[in-house]
Amino acid sequence: MEVEKGKTAKYLREKLGGIPEQAKERLKEFNQQKKKITEALKDGELTVKQLSEKLEMPSHEVMYNLSSLVKYGQVLVGDIDDMDEYFTYKLNK
Amino acid sequence: MENTIKNITYDALVIGGGIAGGEAALNLAVTGFKVLLVEKDLSVGGKMIMLSKVFPTLDCSACITTPKISEISRHPNITIFTGTEVGNIRKVSDTEFVAKVTKKPRYVHVADCTSCQLCEQACPVSVSDEYQYGLVGRKAAFIPFSIASPKAAAIDIDNCTLCGACEKVCPTNCIDFTMVPETMNLHVRTVILATGFDLIDPKKMPRYGYGTFKNVLTAMQMERQLAPTRPFNTILRPGDGKMPDKLAYVLCAGSRDATVGNPICSQICCMYSIKQAQLLMGALPMADVTIYYINIRSFGKGFEEFYQQAKGMGVNFVKGKIGRITEKENGNLTLRYEDINTGKLMEADHDMVVLSTGVVPPKGIDGLFEGETLYMDQFNFVKQSDPLANPSKTSIDGVFVAGTATGPMDIPDSILSAGSASSEAISYLIQHV
Ligand SMILES: Cc1cc2nc3c(=O)[nH]c(=O)nc-3n(C[C@H](O)[C@H](O)[C@H](O)COP(=O)(O)OP(=O)(O)OC[C@H]3O[C@@H](n4cnc5c(N)ncnc54)[C@H](O)[C@@H]3O)c2cc1C
Ligand code: SF4
Ligand code: SF4
Repeated sequence: MEVEKGKTAKYLREKLGGIPEQAKERLKEFNQQKKKITEALKDGELTVKQLSEKLEMPSHEVMYNLSSLVKYGQVLVGDIDDMDEYFTYKLNK
Repeated sequence: MENTIKNITYDALVIGGGIAGGEAALNLAVTGFKVLLVEKDLSVGGKMIMLSKVFPTLDCSACITTPKISEISRHPNITIFTGTEVGNIRKVSDTEFVAKVTKKPRYVHVADCTSCQLCEQACPVSVSDEYQYGLVGRKAAFIPFSIASPKAAAIDIDNCTLCGACEKVCPTNCIDFTMVPETMNLHVRTVILATGFDLIDPKKMPRYGYGTFKNVLTAMQMERQLAPTRPFNTILRPGDGKMPDKLAYVLCAGSRDATVGNPICSQICCMYSIKQAQLLMGALPMADVTIYYINIRSFGKGFEEFYQQAKGMGVNFVKGKIGRITEKENGNLTLRYEDINTGKLMEADHDMVVLSTGVVPPKGIDGLFEGETLYMDQFNFVKQSDPLANPSKTSIDGVFVAGTATGPMDIPDSILSAGSASSEAISYLIQHV
């Protein structure tokens, strides 16, 4: 069967009879965390610790997700505090 | 469904595309032999391509690896299969081995991919980036890392939601979800094993708290933090993003330790830790770096001087054996150790701990051969049948071994070992026409 170029994901989806559950779950989880973090940053720059307190999310999870969002260009690294310890993070608008 | 493809012929099969495999393949190729280099990962380069700088010269690792890899990739006598696994190898005659290899689908036609990264930007999925050792995420459509070879996207099918966003934006239409595994029968005259090493899983040593305490890292994670293509903007604690200023190294973490099944010295950890300590002093000028060691094994050329240089820069060396690490509420870590000189039990606080994890053999290498026995040594590295006179010979005639597949060693020794394996293979090829 000839599958049209650029539409092969649809072909595999049909062949597998859907999307793997685990992939769906992971995407949902990431989207939720991304939403929480980006919403929280709308009010201004925050450090990982401040975000962690505001969102009641463990600070290592905030750090991982935030660094991923920096890598994807959605968040920018701001300045470091006076103690040279924590950077702030802000939305890349 | 798999495609079973015809038979393909090469002079030599090199298994493993790290620095040892690459060097061996290049030596065979420049001598005129046709080589197939099989790498299970998405890129060649092995561990070396992931390093920051290299001891004892502090040369940039990428600057040395990249030209070498491009020479290997462009050589007309070398064919490279990445994302490919060797099923089994049979010796069918004195002059022929048949290897069954399976190329996993990448879902991207490499030759057409311009590495524009538009697919990465479009992909909604984010999962842990194995090339940054889990410190940050990556997309399901992704280029493994910026100096990967081939530099082309791949699809992580286990995490892909098949939304089609990547193929919609791909300007060259090179994403192809119809790809299936390809199995091939390779006919070769000689085999070089350059399957490298693994690092011990630090979770095997719960007393160090790796995985539970987020500011305990492995040295490989620190290599990534020190590399130009680092996961964060600078060196940061994964636990809370703090810039550390009191770091500790735990040497022999999972080496010289029979309780975790690895009684031998990993040979490279002392030196790579001293290297990282020097680099940290440069990256974080205000930071204190302490190395907890049992013995410093600075045996190679320039190593002792490198060690003394670190001392001169202010790296603190403590002859102490770490018993346990505990975490404080602020993410700092308390190290309980025995001061080896005084026999006293001591405690010290640090805000980041790096475990210099030991070298262990990769699994499954002895199972590669059917009908012949590949002998392994007592630690499960490939046994050198004549380690003094002929260090690259294995228990199977026509099969040679290169680099860390025989045991822990650094880059220069891996390259030397690859030189030995390739010249043995060349001599074997000339004698067995
Ligand atoms: C943290 C750290 C820092 C280091 N720093 C330095 C340094 O500064 N200077 C220095 O000299 N050395 C350093 N080293 C050591 C250096 O990394 C090794 O000496 C070198 O990478 C060994 O190369 P290799 O090709 O033997 O193995 P590897 O780099 O392990 O390559 C083996 C390759 O084989 C592939 N492979 C394995 N099994 C199969 C299979 N069945 N089929 C197909 N492919 C397979 C693997 O995917 C891998 O790509 C460091 C090591 C570590 C861990
Ligand atoms: S797969 Fe397509 S979109 Fe992705 S990097 Fe390659 S050319 Fe660009
Ligand atoms: S099809 Fe898969 S890889 Fe492509 S964009 Fe969607 S989730 Fe990402």
